[in-house]
This record gives sequence, C-alpha cells and structure tokens, in this order.
Amino acid sequence: MRSFIFAAAKILAGGAFAASAAWAAEKCEPGALAGKYPSLAGKTIRVAQDPQGGPPYSFRDPENFDNIIGLDADTVRAAFDCIGVPFEFKTGSWSGLLPAVIAGQADVMWSNLYYTPARAEQVDFVTYRLAATRGIVRKGNPKNVHALEDACGVRAAAGLGTVEEAMFRGISEKCVAAGKPALEIVTYPDRPTGIRMLLNDRADLMMGDSGGGAYTVKLYPNDLESGYVILTDYKVGPGISKSMPELRQAVFDVMQILQADGTEKQLMVKYDVDPELQRPAAIFTK
Amino acid sequence: MPIEILTYLGSRFLLDGAVLAIEIAAVSMVFGLALALGLALMRLSRHATLSGPAWCYIWFIRGTPLLLQLVFIYDVLPAVGIKLDTFATAVIGFSLNEAAFSAEIIRGGILSVNRSQIIAAAALGMSGPLTFRRIILPQAMRVILPGIANQAISMIKSTSIASVILVNELTFRAEQIVGQNFKFFTVFTAAALIYLAMTSCVAVGQIAAERRFDFLREPGEDRLVRLAAKLGLGGREKQIEAPQPVVPRPESLPALINDICQDIAVTNAGPVVVCRNVQKSYGDRQVLNSIDLTVNRGEVVVIMGPSGSGKSTLLRMINHLEPLDWGEITVDGRHVGYRRMPGGGLLPTGNIARARADARIGMVFQHLNLFEHLSALENLAEAPIRVYRQPPDRAREIGLRLLAGVGLREHVNHLPHHLSGGQQQRVAIARALAVSPRVILFDEPTSALDPELVGEVLGVIRGLAEAGMTMIIVTHEVRFAREVADRIVFMDAGIVVEEGPPAKLLDHPVQDRTRRFLRMVGHKEHIAAA
Repeated sequence: MRSFIFAAAKILAGGAFAASAAWAAEKCEPGALAGKYPSLAGKTIRVAQDPQGGPPYSFRDPENFDNIIGLDADTVRAAFDCIGVPFEFKTGSWSGLLPAVIAGQADVMWSNLYYTPARAEQVDFVTYRLAATRGIVRKGNPKNVHALEDACGVRAAAGLGTVEEAMFRGISEKCVAAGKPALEIVTYPDRPTGIRMLLNDRADLMMGDSGGGAYTVKLYPNDLESGYVILTDYKVGPGISKSMPELRQAVFDVMQILQADGTEKQLMVKYDVDPELQRPAAIFTK
Repeated sequence: MPIEILTYLGSRFLLDGAVLAIEIAAVSMVFGLALALGLALMRLSRHATLSGPAWCYIWFIRGTPLLLQLVFIYDVLPAVGIKLDTFATAVIGFSLNEAAFSAEIIRGGILSVNRSQIIAAAALGMSGPLTFRRIILPQAMRVILPGIANQAISMIKSTSIASVILVNELTFRAEQIVGQNFKFFTVFTAAALIYLAMTSCVAVGQIAAERRFDFLREPGEDRLVRLAAKLGLGGREKQIEAPQPVVPRPESLPALINDICQDIAVTNAGPVVVCRNVQKSYGDRQVLNSIDLTVNRGEVVVIMGPSGSGKSTLLRMINHLEPLDWGEITVDGRHVGYRRMPGGGLLPTGNIARARADARIGMVFQHLNLFEHLSALENLAEAPIRVYRQPPDRAREIGLRLLAGVGLREHVNHLPHHLSGGQQQRVAIARALAVSPRVILFDEPTSALDPELVGEVLGVIRGLAEAGMTMIIVTHEVRFAREVADRIVFMDAGIVVEEGPPAKLLDHPVQDRTRRFLRMVGHKEHIAAA
C-alpha cells in the first residue's frame, strides 16, 4: 500500500498531469491570447526544426523550397494559428536543435522529437502520438524479413545512435543465443544515405521511423517494399523551453483542441502517418 | 539530367545559401586576418607577456574543433547573458579560428624576410611600424598569400558545419532538398558547382594578388598571369609598365654630392663623430673596451683589424643600431637617441628611429641589403619620402641623378636581384647619399663581392672622398686604404691598437699585432695585385 502511494505521488509530481487542464480550452480563441497566456502576447515563437530528414515530418515543399511542410510543420502552423501567436521556423541540423532550445536561442523544438526522461531534464514535453518503426527491404523481400526476428544473418542498416540500432543489437544477441548467425549491422548518418545503401545492395534491411519508411517505399515502388512495422512505446512531441511554462500550457491546450476536432488526425492521414498512433496529449516535465 | 542540374544551379533557394556562405566567409576573413596580424606580431614579440598569451590562444583555438566552438558560442554563452544570433555566432567563430591559423601563416611570412632588410631600414631612420608596413609586409606577402588563399577557400566550404547553429547555408539547403526528393546526384552536383564557382573567384584573386607581390618573378613569364591582366584582374606590372624615366646625363660625382649635400657642408666646423670610452659586451664577452675615436669633417678614416676585433660593432653603435654599454658617441655634437641624465649618465630616448633620421648617418653594409621588392630608384627614394617627407618628385629627381652619378643610368627601374653585386653596392651607396648624410659608414663594402666587381665600388667611394664626404670605412683592402684614407685605425680585441696616416701605419707600424695583421693581408694584397 505504501509503495502504491509513493508511486502515485511520483506520477503526480513529475509525470503526466494530462487531465488537470482539459477544461481550459475547447475551441480556438486566437483573439484571447493576452488574457489566456499573457507572457506570449507580443512574442514571435521561435520553432526549431530540421527540414533535412525528409518526409513526412518536416521537409521542403517541392513547389517552393522556401516553404517547409510535413506533419510537424503543418501541426505547428495549426497550433500557433489556434493559439493566436506568430511563429518563425529556425532551421538547423537535428543535433543542434535541442541545444538551441536549452540555450534560449529557440523556444521550442518541434521536429520528430521522442520524449525521454533525460531530455525532459532540459526541456518540457507535450506528447501527442507514439513512434513506430518500420523495416523496409528490396522489392520481393529476397531475404524474407517479415518481422524483426527474421533478420538473423542479414545486412541490417540503421541510423547511428538510434533506437533502431539498439533494437538490431538486441535481436542479434538473440539470434546468436538461438544458434543462428548474428546480424551484420551497418549505420548511416542520415536517411538518404541509408536508402542508398539499400538500393545499391549494400544492406538487405533498413529500419527507421515508420512514417519516413512508408514515404520512401511510395517514392521507389519498383525497388522497395515494406517488411514489417513495430509499434514502440516512444512518445513524440515538441520539447519546450523550461523558461516558458505558459507556452507549454498553450501547446498542451491546443493539441487537445486539434485532437478533439480531428485536425491532427487529418494531417496524419495527409502525410501517410498511421492515425492509430495518436495518443491523448500529455505534459512531461521530467 | 544536365538540365535538371542547371535548374538547381539557378535555384534561388540554393543561391541564397551560397550568398550566406560568402557573407560569413568574407566578413570572417576580414576580422580574422586583422586579428591574425596582431597575433602574429605578438607571437614574434620578445616579451613573454605578449608572446605567451598569443601562443596560448593559437594553441587552444587550433586544438579544439570549430564545430564545438560554434556550439559553445551559440548555446553556452547565453547562460552568462551573451546571446548572439546565428550570423554573429558564425562570424565570431570563424574569425577566431581564422585568426589562429592565419597568425601562424603570417608569422611564417614575416620570418621569411631577411633580417638584413630590417637593419637596412633602421639605418635609414625608418621607424618600426614604417619598416613593417613598407619593407617587411610587402616581402612577406609572397609567402603569406598562398596559405591565406587556402584558408579562404576552406572557410567558404566549411561554413557548411554552421548548420548545427541553425545557419541555413548552401550544403544544408542541398541536404534539405535531397531529404525531400532523394535526387542526391543532381542536387549535390549543382551545390558542388556553386562552391566551385565561389572558390574559383578566390583562386583567380590569388593569382592577381600573387602577381602583385611576387617581386622575384621574371616579367611576363606567366601566361596565366598575362591572361588575368588582360581580363583586368591584375595589379600593376612594375617592370613592364613603369615608364622609363628621363635619366639625366651623369654629372661628376663630387659635383653632384656638393650639390645634394651642401646644407651639411656649412654647419659647424667641429669634428663630425666623437667616440669617448665606448664599451660594449655581449654576455660575458667584451667586444669593445674603451674606444676613443674622433673623425673630423671631410676626413676619411679606415678601420682595419682581424675578424671579431669589434669594428662592425663600433660602426653600428655610431648610429645606435646597437646600444652603448658605457661611454658616449656624438655625431655633429649630438647624441643619437640618448639624452644626458642629471647625474651625467646617458639614457636612451623614446624615439630612436627619429634620432637616427635626424643624425643623417649613411650606412653601407657588407651584405647587399637593398630592399628586395623595390627598384633601384625606389630604394633611393624610400627614406627621403617616408622619413624626411621630401616631395616625391624631388626625391625621385635626386635619386635619378645619384644613380646616374654612380653609373647606373640604365638600371633605375631594375629590382636588386637583376643587378650584379657591384651594381647593388653602388645603389646602396647612392641610397646612403640620398638622405644627404653628414657621414657615411661602410662596413666591409667589398668583402662579399667577386674580385672583378670590387674595383667599381671602390671607384665610387673614391669619388665621395674627392667630394669631401666624411667617411668611416671598415675594409681589408690595404691598397685602397693607402690611397683613400686620411687616417687608418687598427683595432684588435676591442681596443684601438694604433692609428696614423697610411704611410706611417701601413709601412712603419709600431705595434707587433699590427705588423702581424699587415703581413697576413699584405700577402693577400700581393696575390690580388698579381
């Protein structure tokens, strides 16, 4: 009993207190900004984003490279239009974005960022969907990889330092324990490089973000196909500067609105991200 | 495919990134080089308080990755209240880095300039900053330029790493397009061509700049350079384009000197150079041990003696190229760069260069230290224009007459390395005359010359003697000394062993050491005569 109370207190103190402000906003009131979030009035929110990773989250509009589109970019637009505060994209390579928010050079990183407790030490999260990972293979699936467990002995490519790389290492050990050949793991610095490895027969399997994988398969229908999708328990959402609690609250409120009125689901469908991945908005401050 | 590449080449999205890269690189290069020059001079300083910090700076900046420096400036400094935007961060980061690397390139260039050039400038009364600007830097540029061009090119390309501090430049933009459409070949080819175009500008600029500063290059030897000149990219072509001036008919040297130096002849009639109890040591070694020497107006004094007897040191102390340890030296009744303290001792004054200039002491060195990057005429005109503020036309007119007077009418626009040793030494004498000196000091003016060239130089000095120029000449040429000297001073081991008229000292020396020395050089004199 005692341990139960302790655990409950822990959740209340640091974890999700999603329900607490659910009543606060039910529809967009851009005109009420100064009343609802006084500290945001007159500000332009600096949104750090990496448009280099490619579709579906944030990428350059092929019709006009000056525009950034994608699930994250469009969600940002919908969200800040609804809050009623202007924003600007600050673009940079992904690894530089979170440091920029921590240093106060940007207010929020909204660029396919996974919540982890370590990251939440530095920025506050508002999560609203789960991440899934997808294995893609060459057309015809010559190595018969229909699940991660089928990957024993294949040349498997993942982004350097990603959760997918860790998953490959884990399954490789299981293969060896079961008397099967280990995976031949290769890592790449960015997704286009990984795709080139697969196309050029330098790898048999590439595992990465599910949405990105789906887009890639759509782009190369004659060369690639989907092998499997694994749902992860990684929660995805913007990382917000800890010095802006009202921004965190505004984003939390607005994501509830966008989920309630179906806007977010529409955007997910538009960019080929499985709408089943949506989860109720939640705040994480540690 | 080629058409697609062309489309990306013309893409404003990519070109905007290129402009950003150029802006960052150009601004950083300007700031970086200014800082680098300061650092290089600090590194060269004898004072540890200057060279130490400069060394530490270079050590630290060169030794840490630029990427991390950028992240530090952008993301860590805000914690102490310094929040810089992306452009400022990039410019500061690249400037600081450029300064560290270029400082060493500039230092290498400065070190490559022969020290004799600096001594020659000092002897002409040129100040340190003037010498640096007019003599050292133009010569060092030859060595500095290729390295700096490398730096500029690599900086344009390395601006791409600034995407980590949210600089949206060319490579990052290309990667964004590839991330969206995966057309890595066409997009990256276009980006590479844009980089190539930008760096080509630097490469062409390098050709033009090197052409401007490479004084050792034979005129017109380089076809690429001629092409650049045709395209209007080059600087001036000294040897080809400089108009051949109208050189006056040679006048007799004595008449010429009397004309140019006449303001000197009428000043007071006392001795020109007086040395009293002059002492000098280098560490434990006593080089000069109580030297007394008086040189009267119009007198030609030859100093002889074995190597290491202190002859050259004495000459250098007369115009304060070397400081006095003890005793005093006056030129025309005044100390050169010293003032007398109330107790009677001497204290160096602040502006030694000015004092040297005011003393008007000409100096001709053993090693041919004409300014290598300047023509014969420019060598002559440099000090009169820059130090004595003569009108340039007047200085050049006198320079032309002097060059004609020493028999170099045909060579006024030639650079020193196009002249023979004897011709160079005649230019050096003319350069000493151009400041209308009260006295000229010659430090073994013929000992670095081939034997057949000695005569032409001694001939000029003979002409100066006829004109009544006061001279102190260190030489081993016994026959010449006999002919031209009013008095010969024999020095050995830092003291004056004996002195007297040539006939007495050369033919009837009193001291044993003098006789031994004369036997040795006399032997050589006979060989030379034979």
